[in-house]
Amino acid sequence: MKKKVLSVLLCAAMVASMAIGCGSDKKDDTAGKTDDKKTEDEAKGGDVNGDGKLVVGYISKNIVDPFHAPINDYAKETLDGLKKDGTIDDWTGVLDGETDANKQIDRADECIAKNCDYVIILPAEATASDAAVTKMTDAGIKVIVVNSKTDSTDDVAMAYVGPDDVEAGKMLAQWVIDNVPDGGKYAHCQGVIGNSAQIQRGQGIEELMKDNDKFESVGDFPCEWQADKAANVATDMMNQYGDELKAIICDNDDMSSAAQKACNDAGRTDIVCVGVDGNENPLQMVKDGEMGATVLQDGPGQVGGAIDLIKKAINGETTEKEVMIPFVLVTKDNVDEYLKK
Amino acid sequence: MAKNNSKILGMDREKFRMFMGKYGIGVILLIMMIVIAVMEPSFRTGSNMINVATQVSINAMIAYGMCLAITTEGIDLSVGAQLALVSCVLGTLISNKGWSIPMACLAALVISTAWGVINGFLISKFNMFPFVVTLSTQLIIRGLAQLVSGGQAIPITDASFKQIYSVKIGPIPFPIIVLIIVTILMYLLLHWTKFGRYVFAVGDNMQAAIASGVSILKTKTGAYAISGFLAGIAGIIFTAKTASAQSNIGVGYETDAVAACVLGGTSFAGGVTTIPGVLMGIFIIGFIYNGMNLIGIDSYYQSMTKGAVIIGAVLLDMVMNKKNS
Repeated sequence: MKKKVLSVLLCAAMVASMAIGCGSDKKDDTAGKTDDKKTEDEAKGGDVNGDGKLVVGYISKNIVDPFHAPINDYAKETLDGLKKDGTIDDWTGVLDGETDANKQIDRADECIAKNCDYVIILPAEATASDAAVTKMTDAGIKVIVVNSKTDSTDDVAMAYVGPDDVEAGKMLAQWVIDNVPDGGKYAHCQGVIGNSAQIQRGQGIEELMKDNDKFESVGDFPCEWQADKAANVATDMMNQYGDELKAIICDNDDMSSAAQKACNDAGRTDIVCVGVDGNENPLQMVKDGEMGATVLQDGPGQVGGAIDLIKKAINGETTEKEVMIPFVLVTKDNVDEYLKK
Repeated sequence: MAKNNSKILGMDREKFRMFMGKYGIGVILLIMMIVIAVMEPSFRTGSNMINVATQVSINAMIAYGMCLAITTEGIDLSVGAQLALVSCVLGTLISNKGWSIPMACLAALVISTAWGVINGFLISKFNMFPFVVTLSTQLIIRGLAQLVSGGQAIPITDASFKQIYSVKIGPIPFPIIVLIIVTILMYLLLHWTKFGRYVFAVGDNMQAAIASGVSILKTKTGAYAISGFLAGIAGIIFTAKTASAQSNIGVGYETDAVAACVLGGTSFAGGVTTIPGVLMGIFIIGFIYNGMNLIGIDSYYQSMTKGAVIIGAVLLDMVMNKKNS
């Protein structure tokens, strides 16, 4: 008998928990509907599929990376705001791409099922996630690709909003040139070879450094974005070149912070290490004066740019095909703006 | 309901117990579908149902293999890595070596089946723990995938290869056809053939099975070989879906497969499973993802909900089944 009571309770608990989830949603729904009526009178320029409702989809790359979490938070906040003020009728919530192209394609199916008009996607892979983009554009959805391009982004997507990685590479090189006035030898720690960020950042560094005869490269080292590998490169190069080594340029700042730490530990605080991203740990090192600078990639700015494009499209304005969000050089002077308390 | 006399939902109590014991998981699936359908109109469209069925086809292949392994009191953790190896083999053969698609698929299936045979052989011949064997071969298989692909993504641009995922026969996409065929074959294999009986016998009581003259070597090797073969099919569908061969895919895919098996009433003690049950488990997992996304439940809550639903469903099933026996 006890067991039967237990099973009944269990059923009840499951249904109740589902009902709670549903209850809170329903409220939002009715709020959306009243807004619907208000805005329906005005002709909506942005209603792509013509079903009288403006629905925005958001497919994240994942919900766990330190880089992606603030982007998703920013998207949630902004899109919730748009829903509240009636600019859009609904949005899908943050759909979890699980850094898996297969899952992103499934999420794309769901955006199509939900009759989305616009979808923002942060692709997990350049080639494999492309099917998610083409599937949605084939269904008539206007897709905005954010952060990195998929293979057919230029052909089918409504727009691309992302970072200008060549510019980031130039910023890295410029920082080194400015802070090592006498020049000398430098090493370059690379990300995963073949990744678009790695290629373009390397290109930017190369562009400035090849014209500068005060500096000489001791080599490009594939470190796969890994901090410990960059630290190994730092110690190896210090052994090999001693005082001649003046700088280590890294494709991301997990690597540059680790390299800087290795240099500092060896008593070589004069070596200038710099990288891209603006993760917590490197920012803290900049604040503590252990590292000179880091180049911040403005993730929330990128997704914000995508949402701005949607707003423009809804208002019937023309939208840009490609928006580049600038990087920010973070030094001791402005680090407090970007470091979370 | 607890103090009810002899009728529950207009059914005789004994009958109700029997009914829930046998079809409890189906009832849960139905309730879930109704609840989601009421909450979200776009869920109940035909095209969304076809979407879900297409999406679950990958997990379904893995889960059927997994349920065989679990029924023989084992587990197959190598399936995720098998996906990656199959994908990389396909990519290399089609894009780099210019093989025809059927030949490349055949080669990939042979390789994945061979790894299944290796798993099964190690487990049955040397009596090693399935967990340890497949945990280790998983590493070897993923390493091979990286070796084959050189760690790079290989795009497969051949349009007819992508068709494997997207081509439709009538309104039905090809992966669903595969799902239906494999489901029928697995049902016949497990419930109608001698091999199926042996799988149950080995899992239920290995000593008794040996005493009755059942070959443990053949049965277990067969079970893992089928698991490898089905993982191969899953890998082909996966690669056609993403049109890209990569060695980093399929990480953690064994989790959803195990979850589907367990939901479907497969017992980790071995010897108990049904193919219709596992099929329903597969769809429950699929509907959890699809339904929650359509309703717009925050993704942070989704994996918690998934865990809770699995525990809840299995607990319900256990309670119901216990009363039966």
